[in-house]
Amino acid sequence: MNRIRLVVNGREREIEVEACKLLVHAVREDVGLTGTHVGCLTGDCGACTVLVDGASVKSCSVLAVQADGAEITTIEGVAGDDELHPVQRAFWDEFGFQCGYCLPGMLLTARELLDRMPDPDDDAIVQAINGNLCRCTGYGSILRSIRCAATRMAASGEPAEEAS
Amino acid sequence: MITKNFAYHAPADLHGVVTALSAASGTAVVLGGGTMLVPDMTHGKTVADVVVDLSRAGLSGITLDGGGGPHDGPVADDGVSDGRVADGRVADGRVADGRVADGGVVVVGATTTYAHVLSDPRSRTLAPLLRRVAGGVTGGPQIRNKGTIGGSACYANPSSEVPAALVALGARLRLASAGGTREVAAGDFFTGAFATARRPGEVLAAIALPAPTGPCPGYTKLKLNESSWPIATAACVPGPDGALRVALGAVAATPLLVTLDPPEAGVADPAWRAHVREVVDAALAEPWSDVLADGDYRRRVAPVVAVRAVADALQQAEGES
Repeated sequence: MNRIRLVVNGREREIEVEACKLLVHAVREDVGLTGTHVGCLTGDCGACTVLVDGASVKSCSVLAVQADGAEITTIEGVAGDDELHPVQRAFWDEFGFQCGYCLPGMLLTARELLDRMPDPDDDAIVQAINGNLCRCTGYGSILRSIRCAATRMAASGEPAEEAS
Repeated sequence: MITKNFAYHAPADLHGVVTALSAASGTAVVLGGGTMLVPDMTHGKTVADVVVDLSRAGLSGITLDGGGGPHDGPVADDGVSDGRVADGRVADGRVADGRVADGGVVVVGATTTYAHVLSDPRSRTLAPLLRRVAGGVTGGPQIRNKGTIGGSACYANPSSEVPAALVALGARLRLASAGGTREVAAGDFFTGAFATARRPGEVLAAIALPAPTGPCPGYTKLKLNESSWPIATAACVPGPDGALRVALGAVAATPLLVTLDPPEAGVADPAWRAHVREVVDAALAEPWSDVLADGDYRRRVAPVVAVRAVADALQQAEGES
């Protein structure tokens, strides 16, 4: 077993994992945050997206031991307890999801895009989410949701990172 | 989940990596960005006793070696150097007026991610083709944040864009082992589908590219949809003699390098297009076939992407003049 230290959504955690344990399973089973979904386990669908030291990764393609010492942000960390992040609110208002399986990954990817590029054009949005698969919406409402979040965040003058 | 546990090492430098590889008992695998290896282990396609992770070994970055060859002393062609292991990196590059002096070598560390290539402004002048390749990698920012140029080279998936780009550029792959380092030309490195000249106990430390002296190479990619792997890619590097060096990717098990005459009467000239078809068809002995497209289709599109890459290279050259 390997003892690793993570800072998950700002909180220090120390867990013991086998070397072969995937980060997505460690986050769900050892850290106990089940908002990160297990999807394809091939690195295609993006449902398991988390941020590691600020950069989005597919946590099915990372070993938990590799993340030793890293800061992890999961979907549970994007907003306060009783509120929605503007990106979450926009997905809600614009029907950006149906079953919700892809949603945690889609939201983290969308937020990462808007942190980097507050006013993305459609090409940039498509490029950003081309590693997040949704089988419900056909993507039209997802594009609308991200455009809506960008517009609202620009209007409120809040950078994505602090808008929670 | 990965059903078989393994020993995990994340050495702090290249020396530690080659030491861990030489000391490994059983099957040892090198973990780069992990975007292919980790899912392959999950699905039992790769079973390892030892995993050696490069992520803490300091092998990331794009640097310019101003000339004088490899940085760790003479390295014989496909031979072993004086036994010392290089750190895969050289001193920072010097770029004047956006151009690089002839004879310099651009060193791309083995764990340089696609995202690094895209965010490092030096890649505009030092590795413009790799920058274009990195921008077109699908799978989302998550894959571009983790996936590496070196990992893609070592994975050697016929249906990927890095191998052909390296062949087009005349890259050399620096392989390190406990016995020393050697360099293998990209044209010799890719030996088959998912197969390379890298031997057990060896790790890719860096990729050395001739510093660009001309305009950005031409590049094109044919794929089914936004998130699809490529069906065919082509990169065109005009030579100093006017001949066009075109490397085709994903059309055969290994990259296909052809030399084309320049289109004197323009890329629409039917006679020149016939020349392209003839050269590409003759070179394409056995087209690659997979779930994306069968061999017949790839044979049909191979000359098409070659023409597009040439047209793009000419446009890039015009843009710079």
